[in-house]
Amino acid sequence: MTPTVVKLIDTSLCIGCKACEVACQEWNDQEFTIGTFGGTYQTMPDLAPNFWNLIKFNERETDGGLSWLMSKYQCMHCGDPGCLRACPAPGAIVQARNGIVDFVSDNCIGCGYCITGCPFDVPRLSPETKKVYKCTLCSDRVAVGLEPACIKSCPTNCLSFGERTEMLRVAEKRASVLKTDGYAEAGVYNPPGVGGTNVLYVLKDVADPVSYGLPKDPTIPWSVVLWKGPIKWLGTLLLAGGVLGSFFHYLKFGPKHEEADDDEPV
Amino acid sequence: MNRYSFAERTVHWLSALSFLYAAFTGLAMWSHKLYWLAAVFGGGNATRFAHPWAGILFALVLGVMFRSWAGQMRLDREDREWLLNSHRYAMNQEEGLPDAGRFNAGQKMLFWFQSLAALALLATGVVLWFPEWMPRTLRLIAIALHPLAAIGAIALIILHVYMGIAVVPGAFKAMVHGTVTQGWARAHHPKWLKEKRLP
Repeated sequence: MTPTVVKLIDTSLCIGCKACEVACQEWNDQEFTIGTFGGTYQTMPDLAPNFWNLIKFNERETDGGLSWLMSKYQCMHCGDPGCLRACPAPGAIVQARNGIVDFVSDNCIGCGYCITGCPFDVPRLSPETKKVYKCTLCSDRVAVGLEPACIKSCPTNCLSFGERTEMLRVAEKRASVLKTDGYAEAGVYNPPGVGGTNVLYVLKDVADPVSYGLPKDPTIPWSVVLWKGPIKWLGTLLLAGGVLGSFFHYLKFGPKHEEADDDEPV
Repeated sequence: MNRYSFAERTVHWLSALSFLYAAFTGLAMWSHKLYWLAAVFGGGNATRFAHPWAGILFALVLGVMFRSWAGQMRLDREDREWLLNSHRYAMNQEEGLPDAGRFNAGQKMLFWFQSLAALALLATGVVLWFPEWMPRTLRLIAIALHPLAAIGAIALIILHVYMGIAVVPGAFKAMVHGTVTQGWARAHHPKWLKEKRLP
């Protein structure tokens, strides 16, 4: 059986060097767009169709000072991906057996439904190509036994990559180390509402992922569930019922009389 | 005798064609099982591109239709009685039903439901058209409401097409050529016939 692969991000070890951002751009051969300076140390304010991996310098004020809550913002490769559920084009979003959720541009029709389906706000629609893009977890590298480009470039071991059960064990171990270091709330971010994610975080404060720019208890959007469930059943019932109902109505009752008996003078 | 003017027929058929185009391209994107329809309309990208424009055309045409027909579509007391007994109309037992005017109560209900659906489809459709510019909450509502309004509208149109083509002989011809016979008018819209004769 193909093992599920996981990217582990230990946010406590990130020094904000942004080597992973550069490695991502290099490997995926993306042009760098010059953005606007937002007054922080961040490279870019947000993800973009040609920028799939952003190191966020989340600022938190402390007693008389400022601390950074570093986080890596990219596709989470969910166990139950909201983008995949919302996608109307078969084969445009695929979930590989190793857990990687990949966009296949040839099949993408550019409707942007995945943007609404994603609880992490990751996919970005390119106005030029009318296709949606995001982190591939370097599926092309992983396929030939290499680790993703961002992992390769990380100088502090903040990023690691491996088989899921092993990475979960490493993550829990790191969290327990952080706990003994005085971060009582340290833990692993692996939200169950999206079937777990194949990008795991070790957070110093797992009860407050929002400060890291991560949603608390993300789930598949209720309206996507509604559309793909009850609305689809109701629709099938109404449309098939309408056609079949008309057919049998005609057999049973037939047409109305074309004209009234023309016996009264006009 | 004249039943539908040239302008009315033009508006009707423009709305019909744009509705069918939007409906079939929409069905392609509604379910993976119907995605083969996208090939009929030139592939997935062409389908995604054409669907909103067909929808805009439909909404515009329906706006014109609304302006010209809304006054004639008001439901009166007899219409309500007609609706309460509509099962008898469905079974071709019209005796005892109130006489229908230019439009019977069923046609009036179709008009109001389609107008409402068009409004909902337009509002939610614009939200889904530009996902990058729309607030997430609006998109979440639209992604469920749009298909819901669409299947309601399509179900009613299936009924409408079936009745216009099969149940009421002469109705399709009336919408194409604009004319009906007096016998047809007496059978299906007797009150309208009387009103026409008054002046």
